[in-house]
Amino acid sequence: MNHESASEEMKSLWQSQPTDQPKIRPEDFRRKLDKFERRIFWRNAREYAAGVVVIAGFGYYGWKLSGLLVHVGAGLIIAGTLIVMYELHRRGSVRSAPADLGLSTCIEFHRKSLERQRDALWTVWTWYLLPFVPGLVVFEIGSAMMQWKAHPVGLGHLVTRFLISGGTIAVVFFGVWLLNQWAAGKLQKRIDELTALVRGPD
Amino acid sequence: MASREDLYEEAVREHGPALDRLARAYEMDAEARRDLLQEIHLGLWRSLDGFDARCSLRTWIYRVAHNVAASHVDADRRAKARQLVSIDDVDVTDDRTDAAAAAGRTIALERLMALIRELKPLDRQVVLLFLEGVDAGGIAEVTGLSPGNVATKIHRIKNILIRRFQAGGEHES
Repeated sequence: MNHESASEEMKSLWQSQPTDQPKIRPEDFRRKLDKFERRIFWRNAREYAAGVVVIAGFGYYGWKLSGLLVHVGAGLIIAGTLIVMYELHRRGSVRSAPADLGLSTCIEFHRKSLERQRDALWTVWTWYLLPFVPGLVVFEIGSAMMQWKAHPVGLGHLVTRFLISGGTIAVVFFGVWLLNQWAAGKLQKRIDELTALVRGPD
Repeated sequence: MASREDLYEEAVREHGPALDRLARAYEMDAEARRDLLQEIHLGLWRSLDGFDARCSLRTWIYRVAHNVAASHVDADRRAKARQLVSIDDVDVTDDRTDAAAAAGRTIALERLMALIRELKPLDRQVVLLFLEGVDAGGIAEVTGLSPGNVATKIHRIKNILIRRFQAGGEHES
């Protein structure tokens, strides 16, 4: 048996499988769309819930603690959280138009999706981390000054405390940034592989 | 230009069984398969408003179906952290069962399905289009692969089919 007859036999076996005649009615489309909308709603709800927790936490601190810098810092963190929530919502809403499914080849479609994910990860510093920085810096300075006022222990101690807490936050931010760059690099490799498949060999 | 309803009706009439086979090849679980098939039909229905006959309706249908199915697999893979393989890494021969058993149609089909479900989306698309009888040019048009890559992959697929699924095959390479 040669390649041709073997593959023809497999094609015929494949195509002769019993299939269910699809009975998709308009109600099914509506149900499917409803399910899709519900999924988006709950995904958004989870994102907003996390944001609301941060806003409530810093709102409470801003109200409870005294000191102008603490109030300003908490306000800036809340503003930063709102920016991040808006960005998450905006980026989550970017989807392909329905016609893209048929206009794009499988590689183009997949590549566009990977590029969207890669760009979000590559720019994570600007839209996910940076909005928190001003608020955290001001809040940290404010709470250190407040503590110093209550228990004056010397400038060296104050600076050390600020460096430890600020340094911890910086390390966490750097770690998040690094992980995202690493993930974006992996996506870029997959994008390059797809590009190579379009180009050759011919 | 035909209306969306007419195009959809034609798509289901001409390619409905192929879409069903495609969903089977992507999803083993019956409920998830029904869900995927509905997603494909929904994607097709919504997309047909933008169909401008720049490619054939068949190419359009296969693009929509494979794009929807690949997104489905991608989301599923992220959820289950499942590792998919390239067709280049699939063993041409398979010692798991003997060739005589593989000659049975049901077993051959089951094994073929299992093989397809292990493949990365692009390789899966090529195998499925090949099995549906789409020629190399058509496969290139649907997937976006270069003709050279399509030819290489088809050669590889034929090798796998003859070695894995044909009892007493001549094992040519």
